[in-house]
Amino acid sequence: MTQTEPERTVRPDALQRPFTPGDPGNDPELETYPETVHGPVPLELSDRRTAEFVEEWRNASYNCYSSGHKFCREVCPVMQVTRNESWTPTAFHANVVAMEKGELEVADIAADYVNCTQCGACELRCPNTLFTGDFYRFRTRTVDVVKAVRALAVESGVHQPNWRTWNARTDDRTHEPVLGETEISQENVRNWAEGLDIPIGGETVLFVDCEAAFYRTAVPRAVAQILQRAGYEFGLMGEQWCCGGPAAEMGYVDQARRFARHNLDNWRATGTKRVLVLDPHDYISFTEDYPKYFGAEFDIEVVLVVEVLADLLAQGKLTPTVPVNRTITYHDPCRLNKRKGIWEEPRQVLRSIPGLTFHDVDRVTQWSYCSGGGGGLPVEKPELTAAISERRLGHAAELGVDTLVSACPWSERPLSEAGDKRDIDVIDIHEIVAESLGIEVGGSRGAVGDRRCGGCAK
Amino acid sequence: MSYRYSDEHAPPAPQRASEVAVTTHEHVFEVDPRLMERWVLQQTFPNWDTLRIMHARHDHLDWMHAHFAQKTITGSDLIAEIENEA
Amino acid sequence: MWGLREVTALERPPTDLIDRVVERLAGVLRPDQILTAKTDRYNRARVPAPFPVHRWRERVPDLAVLPESTEEVAAVVAIANELKCPVVPRDGGTGLTDGAVPLRGGIVVDVKRMNQIHELDLENRTVTVGTGINMLKLNEVLGKHGLIYPDDPASYPCSLVGGRIGTSGWSLIGARYGHTRDLVLSFDLVLPTGEILHVGDGIGRQISKSSSGYQLKHLFMGHQGTLGIATKATLKLYPKPEAELSPFWAFDDYDAAYRFTGALARAGVATFAGAVLFDEWKVAYLRRDDEAYIPQPADVRALTCAVLYGWEDEVRVGGKRLFRIAKEHGARYLGDEISEGDWAARHDRYATPLHGRTKSGQVVPMSWHCEDAAVNYTRVPAVTKAWHEIVADLRRKTDVFDDWGMFAYTSADTGVDYLTEIDVGIWEQRLDDDAWAMWVRAKRDIAAAALAHGGSISACHGSCREGEVDLVPRELGRGFDVMLGVKRMLDPNNIMNPGKYLLDLAYQGGDLAARLAELRGEA
Repeated sequence: MTQTEPERTVRPDALQRPFTPGDPGNDPELETYPETVHGPVPLELSDRRTAEFVEEWRNASYNCYSSGHKFCREVCPVMQVTRNESWTPTAFHANVVAMEKGELEVADIAADYVNCTQCGACELRCPNTLFTGDFYRFRTRTVDVVKAVRALAVESGVHQPNWRTWNARTDDRTHEPVLGETEISQENVRNWAEGLDIPIGGETVLFVDCEAAFYRTAVPRAVAQILQRAGYEFGLMGEQWCCGGPAAEMGYVDQARRFARHNLDNWRATGTKRVLVLDPHDYISFTEDYPKYFGAEFDIEVVLVVEVLADLLAQGKLTPTVPVNRTITYHDPCRLNKRKGIWEEPRQVLRSIPGLTFHDVDRVTQWSYCSGGGGGLPVEKPELTAAISERRLGHAAELGVDTLVSACPWSERPLSEAGDKRDIDVIDIHEIVAESLGIEVGGSRGAVGDRRCGGCAK
Repeated sequence: MSYRYSDEHAPPAPQRASEVAVTTHEHVFEVDPRLMERWVLQQTFPNWDTLRIMHARHDHLDWMHAHFAQKTITGSDLIAEIENEA
Repeated sequence: MWGLREVTALERPPTDLIDRVVERLAGVLRPDQILTAKTDRYNRARVPAPFPVHRWRERVPDLAVLPESTEEVAAVVAIANELKCPVVPRDGGTGLTDGAVPLRGGIVVDVKRMNQIHELDLENRTVTVGTGINMLKLNEVLGKHGLIYPDDPASYPCSLVGGRIGTSGWSLIGARYGHTRDLVLSFDLVLPTGEILHVGDGIGRQISKSSSGYQLKHLFMGHQGTLGIATKATLKLYPKPEAELSPFWAFDDYDAAYRFTGALARAGVATFAGAVLFDEWKVAYLRRDDEAYIPQPADVRALTCAVLYGWEDEVRVGGKRLFRIAKEHGARYLGDEISEGDWAARHDRYATPLHGRTKSGQVVPMSWHCEDAAVNYTRVPAVTKAWHEIVADLRRKTDVFDDWGMFAYTSADTGVDYLTEIDVGIWEQRLDDDAWAMWVRAKRDIAAAALAHGGSISACHGSCREGEVDLVPRELGRGFDVMLGVKRMLDPNNIMNPGKYLLDLAYQGGDLAARLAELRGEA
C-alpha cells in the first residue's frame, strides 16, 4: 500500500537548491539531466491551410489555453451581453488548440468568431499582456487570432452571408455600403467637404473613413473647419478608397491588401508624407495593418486628429470660447483607449471647452465598455451591437448626463440609437469642439442625431 | 504623438539588468532574448506597444488599489512616525 | 491504487438518451439556452488545471444549457434526474480541482446568465445576487454605496459567486473578513432531484448565526457540484475600507522570513487581513521576469508581506505595530512602490505561461498548477521541504515540470494555519501519458506530505482530482462514510457531477468497508 510519505534517497544535486534558469552562473549539472518524456505524437493535419494556420498560432493560443484564468471574460463586451462562454477570448484560443489536436475544423468554429468587436479589452486585460507582454515581447493577440480565423474561413470557403455581401459591395464601390440600400460611389467620397475649399493632395492629407464620409458627415466637416481655423494646412486624398481595415477584420485579406496598396500608391502620387486620421479604426489600419503589409516601405507619418487638437489647444492656437451647456461623459473608443493607450488627449480637449459639466469615468473601468460597433459585428449581428450600446448608455445614464461624447464615428450610430431611448445625445468630440469655437459645422449627425440635435446647421 | 514605421522599430539599446533580463525603455524590463530562441520566439513589438502595456499596467494597479480601498498608506510614512516617536 | 481508475472509466449517456434530454429541455428553455454545437461543448470541458490535451475529448459534455432562473435550473435537473442523465454545474470554471469538468458527459448547467443583483439591503448590509455574478463586477456596483463584498481569491476578476460556494473558497484577505463560508449568509440550491432547498440560517435569507437544527450551510458548500447547484445567494457586506497598507519585507533566508511571518500573524492586530511568506524558490523564480525583483540584490532571498484594511486611524496604529515587529526581526522594508504595486498585482501574477523555463533557461509556455494544503504554522517548513523535493524529482526526469516556488498564506486571524501552496509549471504541449502519470503520482505524494504533517489536502481548491482524491477517505476517516451516505440520500440516481470525490462508491455493491480500508491503507 501507499506510504504516507514517499521515501527518497536521492544524492544532493543541483535541483535541490533554488536557482533562476538561464543564469550563466548556474550549476553545470543542470544541463546533464536526461529528458525521459517523448511528448505526444504530433498529428498530421490533412488540410494544408489549417496546418499552416495552426503552426503560426499555436504558441499564441497555448499562451491563453495554458493560463486559463479568463480575466478577459468580464471585460469582453460580447460576453457581458450574452454570458455565453463559447464566445469568449478564451474559447477563441482554445479552439485553435483543438484544431491542432484534430478535434475541431474551421467549419466547426467559424460562426463563433463573428462574436467579437475586436475592441482589444481581452488582450489588454490579460495578465499575459498587462504584466508580462512587454517583458517577453510576446503578448495575447486575440484580435489577430480572430482575424486569422476569419481569414482561414474565407480562404476555406466558409463565409458569413452578410460579411460576404458587405465586402463584395465594398469591392464594387471602393467604399463600405454604410448607407444601406443606397449605393455609394467613388465620385461622392468628397461630398462631405462641399463649400469648405479644401485642396486635393499635398504633403498632409486628411483621410475620412466611410462612415464619416457618407453618413456622419458632421464629423469630417468639424475636423476640417477646426484645422482651417488653426491654420493647419492639409488636403484631401486624390482618390481615397476604404482603408481596407473592415475587409481585413472580416477575413477578406486579399481585398484589404488591394485597398491598402491603392491608398499607399495614391499618397505617393500626390507627394503625401503625412496622413491625418479622425477615425480610430483607420488609425489601427494605418499603424498596424499597413506596416504589416508593406514593412519599411510604409514611410508615411500617421497622425491622429484628436492628438493634434490637444496640441493646438495647449499651444493656444485654438481657444474654445462659446460655452457648451451640457452635462457629459466621455466614451473611450476601444481602438484608442484599449488598443492604443490614447485616453488623455481627448480628456484634455474636453476640459478646454467652457460650459461643460464633465462626469468622467476612468480609462481602466472603460476597458469593459464598448459600443459594439466594431469588427463587423453590426453587419452580421446587429442585435448584439444594439445590446452592447444599450449597456454602454446604461452606464452613462447612471451618471445623470444629457450627452455622451465619443471620438469614433463607427460607435456613434449604435450609441445614438441606444441614447435616444434614454434621452441622451451622442455627440462626436470634434463636433463639440467646433461648436465651442463658434463654427457652423453643417453636415449630418446621422438619422438620430439630426432628429435630436437638429444636425449641425448648414 | 505620431506614428512612423522607422521610429517604432528602433527600440533603445538594451542595458543588462540581471543575468536573465535587460532594460530598454525607461521602466521597462525585458527578457534576455537568448532565452527565447528555441521554443517560443518573440513577436514583432513596435515601441508604442511596449509603452502602451507598461503605462496600462501602472493605471491598472492604481485602479486596483482604488477598487479595494479609498487610499493607500505608505510604509515609509509609518516608519517615519515610529522614528519620530522614538 | 490504480484499480480505482476502473471505477472512473469513461461512461457516456447513449445518443438516444441525449436526444430525449434535448427534446424535453426544449419544453422548459428557449432554443438559445440549449447549446449542442461542438465548440459549445469543447469550451465547457476545461478548467485551468492542466490535463493532457490529447485526452480533451474524454471530458466533453453532450450539451450545455444556459438557464436564467432558479426555476429553470430546477426544471433542467428534474428532467436529468428522471432520465438519469449526468449534470455538471459550471460557474466561472476557474477552479483547480476539476469540479466543473464533466467526467461522464451529460449536461453542463452553465449559470453565467444568472448574474443579477436582486436586492441590495443597505440597512442590514446584505446583497442578494444570482450566483453567476463575478465579485469584481459586484464590487464595482457596491463601491458606489461605500460597501464591499470582500471575497478575494486569486481569480477575483473572473470567478463567480456560485463557484465560490461550490468549492467553499478561500480568500486572500480572509484573516480579516472571513472566507466564502463566512461571507455567504444563505443561498438557494437545486438538489439533484430538482427540488429547491434554501440553505442557511433562519427562515429569512439574512441571518448570520443561528443554533436552530442541523447547520446545513457547510454541507452544501465545497461539495464541488456533487450535491446540487447554487442559484441565488445572500452575501454579507462590509464598509469599503478607507485605507489599505501592504508592506513587503525582505530577508537573507527563509527561516528569518518564516519567524517574522508567524510573529505578524500572532500579533492580534484587528485590521490585519493576511500575511504571505515567499520562500527562497519563489524569490529565485520572481527574478525570472518580475520587474520588482530583477534588480534586487542577491541577499534578498525570502519575503514576507502583510496587508491591513480598515479606517485610516486603525490601519495606522496597527501598521506601526507591525513595523515595530519588523524592526525586531531585522526585516528590510522593500519600499512603497514595490509594496503597493505587488499587492495590487496579486491577482495577475500567477497564471502566465511564459513564466515557464527549461532547466537550461529557455522560455516555454507552461500551465500554472497550484497544489495547496492547509498546514499548521509549525509544520510549514517541513511541508515546504518535502514538496520541493517531490517537484525536483519530476525535474530530474523531464523539462515538462518546473518549480515556481512556494507561498504560505495566513488562513485565519490568529496564525493557526496556513494555505501552503507550491506552484508547479506544467508544459502542456509536451504532456503525454507518461508525464501525466508522473504528475498524478507527484500530486498524491504532495497530498500525502500534507496529511503526514497533520494538515488537510486542500485549504482552498478542493481535493477531487486524480492523485489526491485517493487520500480523501484517509483524511476524513469516518466522515467519508457519512459523505457517501449523504450523497446516496440526496442524489439517488448519481446524476449530479458523477465521478467526483470517489462518491461512486456510494452506489456500488460489494464490500465497501474493505474498499475504504484499502484506500485508507488499513488493509
